[in-house]
Amino acid sequence: MSEKPAYTKPLPDLRPEDATFWEALKEHRFILPCDDTGKAFWYPRKYAPGTLSETSWTDASGNGTVYTYSTHFIGPSKAYKGDPPHIVALIDLDEGPRMMTILVKDEEGYPSLDPEDVKIGMKVKIVFDDVTDEVTMPKFTPAG
Amino acid sequence: MAVFVAPGPVTNPAEDNGMAEGTPDVKEARRMLGKGICIAGVGETEQGIISDRGSFELLAEVTRTTLDDAGIELKDVDGIVTAFSFVESTLMHSTTLADYMGMKPGYFASVAVGGATAPLMAVQAALAIDAGLAECVLCVRGDNTRSGISSSGMIAMAREMSHGAYEAPFGLTTIGGYGLLAQRYMYEHDIPQEALAAVVATQSEHAALKWNAMLRNVVSVEDVMNDRWIATPFHAMDCSLVSDGAAAFIVTTEARAKSMKKKPVYITGIGEGFSHQYISEAESVASVRDGLGRAGRRAMEVAGITPQDLDVAEIYDSFSFTPLIALEGFGICGPGEAGDWVLEGNAKLGGKLPMNTHGGLIRQAHLGAMHHIVEAVLQLRGEADDSAKTEFNGGNHQVPDAKLAITNGSGGILAATSALVLSSEPPSAA
Repeated sequence: MSEKPAYTKPLPDLRPEDATFWEALKEHRFILPCDDTGKAFWYPRKYAPGTLSETSWTDASGNGTVYTYSTHFIGPSKAYKGDPPHIVALIDLDEGPRMMTILVKDEEGYPSLDPEDVKIGMKVKIVFDDVTDEVTMPKFTPAG
Repeated sequence: MAVFVAPGPVTNPAEDNGMAEGTPDVKEARRMLGKGICIAGVGETEQGIISDRGSFELLAEVTRTTLDDAGIELKDVDGIVTAFSFVESTLMHSTTLADYMGMKPGYFASVAVGGATAPLMAVQAALAIDAGLAECVLCVRGDNTRSGISSSGMIAMAREMSHGAYEAPFGLTTIGGYGLLAQRYMYEHDIPQEALAAVVATQSEHAALKWNAMLRNVVSVEDVMNDRWIATPFHAMDCSLVSDGAAAFIVTTEARAKSMKKKPVYITGIGEGFSHQYISEAESVASVRDGLGRAGRRAMEVAGITPQDLDVAEIYDSFSFTPLIALEGFGICGPGEAGDWVLEGNAKLGGKLPMNTHGGLIRQAHLGAMHHIVEAVLQLRGEADDSAKTEFNGGNHQVPDAKLAITNGSGGILAATSALVLSSEPPSAA
């Protein structure tokens, strides 16, 4: 098993309303924001898009399907220099919403999934990667 | 009076024979454009790496060229519409430039909707003229993006494209954001990689003739396919350029244009469409196609034309994939059919509907959709033959007898789109 390197990638830029979601991730719980009809939406906001009802939260399975992906050979900043390609994907969660993530090889949350191992429609599950003491990133890995 | 545009789908002009009819908002747009609102002058600087000139200097330079083209002086201009700069930090871009050039305009606005900005600048000018705020409006955009960009400028650019908490931390690039949509599009419609490469190859043939295009060499489909990957499905050559340079156009009334030097080119159709801000929020390939397509379909509806009437198409091309989904959204091709359409040579000079006859963002330069508008105007004036520009090794990229053009720009990752129909003839009585 490869040793996990120090995390140098950009961390999420969080606003006060993001605290509930990211605090849950720190406890390795995956929750989704819902509107006043109980319908889950993405991305997390204080007020639900469309109705502006106050957001409530529901536990989510962390299971989903790859809607699409793009294998990045060049990253957005110097922190990615020298890295193998990374795969950014949009996941259709079983609960309905679609979210962005990065696909990884295993439950360690590192390293990146090999490009030949990804395809649209593939089943994936969440991996909690504690990238720093403060931040846990929701990454996904092939299911089963 | 502002034009209120009701959200939602518009009638596909191709299916609508009752052109004289139209919903109240379409009729209102026709009323405004029926005043003969037109583009009376255009200009563009050299494009590429221009490290010896600053942002405002480039804007002033292109303003001189554009005023000369129209045969007027700065004092004849009473309105200014600009965009934004990644280099010169100002929240008052239009008035900062007006001050730099020594103008006291009666109307000023800075438009900032990414790649949709240029056609929206034309719309803003038209609205101002219709409202009596100005009669002769300079629309000018330029920047030394390539040479002068600051790190805060780069961050600002990235922020426009991805969500800071739910996208950026996963290592998304702008190229990859388009890549996500493009790969899903290719999966759903079984589009080969060659279709994307054919867009690049086609536009390289056109850029070879355009005097100020950055990339003048002609490349083949194979050349593009063999290029290095940036983010799937895009090779380096599938991506737009980063460049320094400026371009401008003057919007005025037919009455004013008649006293100017050049034949006016009329704005006969305008339309806008929005589907999502962040790519994670895009509902489906079809919803993105419909959202951006609304801009072009509505512009054609207002103009009272169908895609079959078009002679030339200057379609926003941030990536090789971008024009494919726009061609489909505008109803020029059916869903999933644009790739074959380009592979068959329809987008080439001499083809059914020549597209990006200046080389586009992929081969000429990246200044949003400014150059798409300038090129469309040159085509409709019959001035797209650069053969006389021997010092730049220019060639003839004129579409013979071009009378009707569509042009568009998209901001974000196909998030917000604005389109114009331009015509060599005034709009028929509204």
